[in-house]
Amino acid sequence: MGRWQEIEHTADLGLHLWAADLPDLFTTAALGMFSLFIVPGDTLSATKTLTLTALDVETLLVAWLNELLYLVEVEGLAFTVFEFAQLTPTQLVVTLRGGPVLEYTGYVKAATFHDLRVVATPEGYETEIVFDT
Amino acid sequence: MVHKDDFEQINDYVWELPQAYDGRMRVPARIYGNEEVFEAAFRDNSAEQLMNVAMLPGIVKYAMAMPDVHQGYGFPIGGVAAFRWDEGIISPGGVGYDINCGVRMLASQIDYPALEPYLKDLIATIDRNCPSGVGGKGAVALSDKELDDVLERGAEWALSKGYAQRDDLERTESRGRIAGASAGAVGSRAKERGRPQMGSLGAGNHFLEIDVVDEIYDAEAAAVMGLSRDRVVVQIHCGSRGLGHEVCGQYIQTLQDAPRRYGIDIPDRELVAAPVDSREGRDYLAAMAAAANYAFANRQILAHFVRRSFEQTLAGKVKDWQLHQVYDVTHNIAKVEEHQVGSQRMRLIVHRKGATRAFPPRHPELPAVYREIGQPVLVPGSMGTASYVLVGTASAMDDTFGSTCHGAGRTMSRNAALKQARGEQVRADLSQQGIMVRTGSVKGLAEEAPYAYKDVSIVVESVTGAGLARKVARVHPVAVIKG
Repeated sequence: MGRWQEIEHTADLGLHLWAADLPDLFTTAALGMFSLFIVPGDTLSATKTLTLTALDVETLLVAWLNELLYLVEVEGLAFTVFEFAQLTPTQLVVTLRGGPVLEYTGYVKAATFHDLRVVATPEGYETEIVFDT
Repeated sequence: MVHKDDFEQINDYVWELPQAYDGRMRVPARIYGNEEVFEAAFRDNSAEQLMNVAMLPGIVKYAMAMPDVHQGYGFPIGGVAAFRWDEGIISPGGVGYDINCGVRMLASQIDYPALEPYLKDLIATIDRNCPSGVGGKGAVALSDKELDDVLERGAEWALSKGYAQRDDLERTESRGRIAGASAGAVGSRAKERGRPQMGSLGAGNHFLEIDVVDEIYDAEAAAVMGLSRDRVVVQIHCGSRGLGHEVCGQYIQTLQDAPRRYGIDIPDRELVAAPVDSREGRDYLAAMAAAANYAFANRQILAHFVRRSFEQTLAGKVKDWQLHQVYDVTHNIAKVEEHQVGSQRMRLIVHRKGATRAFPPRHPELPAVYREIGQPVLVPGSMGTASYVLVGTASAMDDTFGSTCHGAGRTMSRNAALKQARGEQVRADLSQQGIMVRTGSVKGLAEEAPYAYKDVSIVVESVTGAGLARKVARVHPVAVIKG
């Protein structure tokens, strides 16, 4: 399981992420992002499938996080369990499981591309991502 | 990493990074502010981000940072940059996610002592009538057709539905409607987010505040605006809600390969851009204008429900409870404007990200009422501190494409602010100062505490010292709804 650490940013919020592989990176990024502004519920009452394609892994990561933000805002659902049927640097096919948001503790408008670079390391992947708040 | 010693001091309020500092810079970069403000720009990545903006194609004169500058994403917050229409770019990241986030001020003829006994009821009524908080439903439900109307007509739509007085539009930047907006350029997901949120404040740093005028600096301009000492005013700070966030995100995603296709070299992917006069550039401009129109309508609807709250609470108890609009300014936008650049008159796309337009007296875009004093500029301070009303100047037009600061500007991260005090303590401290606070997020209160921001007075002294605006009045808060 990957891990995240919040990084200081004057106006917004940021995360440094470490993960073993791409599914781990995308899962860790999602859970880290949720930790910034919501408490997800503990039920898995909702299921969705999602397909995203993108130019490269950074674009795919931002699209993924913004898709999850959209589901929080429009449907009030936080998806926290992910079964990736396919995950390449340019495409993902995933089944999402989750439930209603338990509590809102802050606000995140969007995941940004600011200085975003997904770097392959001997341990897997590492990146920093800034969120507009 | 750019260092403060790399900048040259031009005068007491202007600091310049020469174009020669980095071969990729197309123009010099300038920071406006006194020495304290200038040095603060190096406590985060503001200066680095400003330098990146100076590298974008078609930029003219300077990449500029106003005195409330702080680190953003892509552009710094407080950033101003203008690009040639014929060979420049437009960048969604240069506008930001909250398109047309802005401030509206309404003024009354009520002396504060007459209102004070009813203040608690009034702020509670406003809180009920003007929804706030994360996500959330707005005060007005829109059909698909109405939403398209909002996107293309902005505050004019609100007027047609009885949510505005004709004078309100006169006293709104661009009369509350940005030309060229197209509902068709806004994606279905953005519309899905925006449809239920019309007439809502949102969260984050958005607020609705009741203030009292405590200082008049320019009696003539204040009289024109209807501002008098001890009188009650209202400020509304919010933007285009989820619709604007989605429009920005959508276009930043779709433009990711535009730099490659158009041969644009960008130093940061958040600065992704397309030529202004390209299909992608025109599409974004039309969508951004539509989101800006949504924001104008949103603040107009909130103003309507503030007026209704004043009537519900004060009619029959307090004389002259009606509210007139002073002005409504946008501080996250890209606008097509004509400016003098050297000896040439140029059509430009002026990006203001966390910066306010500040047009001078006799500018043709100003309404007749403000033609002689200049455009009102609203500069909210942090929660619990003063806010200022300024007017634009001719030197702002010459130096900064008619732009000035938009607020105090953060100086402390949210985490650092949370470590200083808990929300309940912040509420108690504000109460000690006679400021009533209502919020759905006590944690948010701590994040937005006054000490997390620069001293707005220093920011305002810097813009007036630099000649980018003139002071008209100062107000201080007595009740705040924190989104």
